[in-house]
Amino acid sequence: RVTEDPPVNKSQVKKFAVAEGKHAKFRCFVTGKPKPEIIWKKDGVPLEPGRRHLIFEDREGYYTLKVLYCKVQDTGLYVCAASNSLGNTLSAVHLSVKGPAVQFR
Amino acid sequence: EVEGAPSAPLDVRCLDANKDYIIVTWKQPAVDGGNSILGYFVDRCEVGTTHWIQCNDTPVKFARFPVTGLVEGRSYFFRVRAVNKIGMSRPSRVSEPVAAMDPADRARMRGTSAPWTGQIIVTEEEPAEGVVPGRPRELQVTEATKNYLVLSWKPPGEKGLEGVMYYVEKCVSGTDSWQRVNTEIPVKSPRFALFDLAEGKSYSFRVRCCNSAGVGEPSEPTEPTTVGDKLDIPSAPGK
Repeated sequence: RVTEDPPVNKSQVKKFAVAEGKHAKFRCFVTGKPKPEIIWKKDGVPLEPGRRHLIFEDREGYYTLKVLYCKVQDTGLYVCAASNSLGNTLSAVHLSVKGPAVQFR
Repeated sequence: EVEGAPSAPLDVRCLDANKDYIIVTWKQPAVDGGNSILGYFVDRCEVGTTHWIQCNDTPVKFARFPVTGLVEGRSYFFRVRAVNKIGMSRPSRVSEPVAAMDPADRARMRGTSAPWTGQIIVTEEEPAEGVVPGRPRELQVTEATKNYLVLSWKPPGEKGLEGVMYYVEKCVSGTDSWQRVNTEIPVKSPRFALFDLAEGKSYSFRVRCCNSAGVGEPSEPTEPTTVGDKLDIPSAPGK
């Protein structure tokens, strides 16, 4: 399913950083009735649940994406897109995965 | 703000809303700037945009105006400016949003709302915390004889990061009391054979995954199975 998202103003997107090898947990509170369908995307590509991507609704009702054992390639724009019969909206953040500070040769 | 111009109109609200027009009312400003108010301009802004459009070309005299040219189903904010011979007031405070729809449709839509998403908060976690595995899938009774019963299932979509093991639970139909069958050690394969079930009694089964981080949520329970009533349920070809 392809959905057309409104454009994201990248200069206004909040930036977060995690260290390589750690987990990154994204939490987004979503309201809407009927209950919205949620799609997490990285750089526009929908993320499927998998070995390194956990997608769930946590006990406090936050829609949650967990990227496990972050790699530098996980750096990018992450979007939580919500839609129901009345419309759609999204929130975005930028994640940087920082490699080790000191590179040994 | 121009010296001698009126202050902003007050209390802008919707008097009546339909799909074709929304009647907006307001209160005249507290200060007319010493010159009588010649009229008002009404502005609208579609919710979700920042674009204000002036609705009337010439000032309206009465503190009430039907706004037309709306897109059915969309919601709008309104604000009003007052004008006298010196100049224009600042805009009023913005109204509550109003949807361009007929009252019957509004009643039908009541209790619904378009999605809203908050700011995403990112936190770093230590991998050592571990991840409890999810629910096993597609649990089924593959064999049921008088003497034993075999369950099979599929691993959870999200396994966590290590090997997953399983706990099987049984429940006598009609009760809500689940009992762990393999109390001592979790099983490693997604199959389990149960013995010593009471013949003629009906049971449901469910399975939980576990790893070193903990025990996960149970699978969907099976339909009740009466021990002894089925003999060697044939499995589908190729399974």
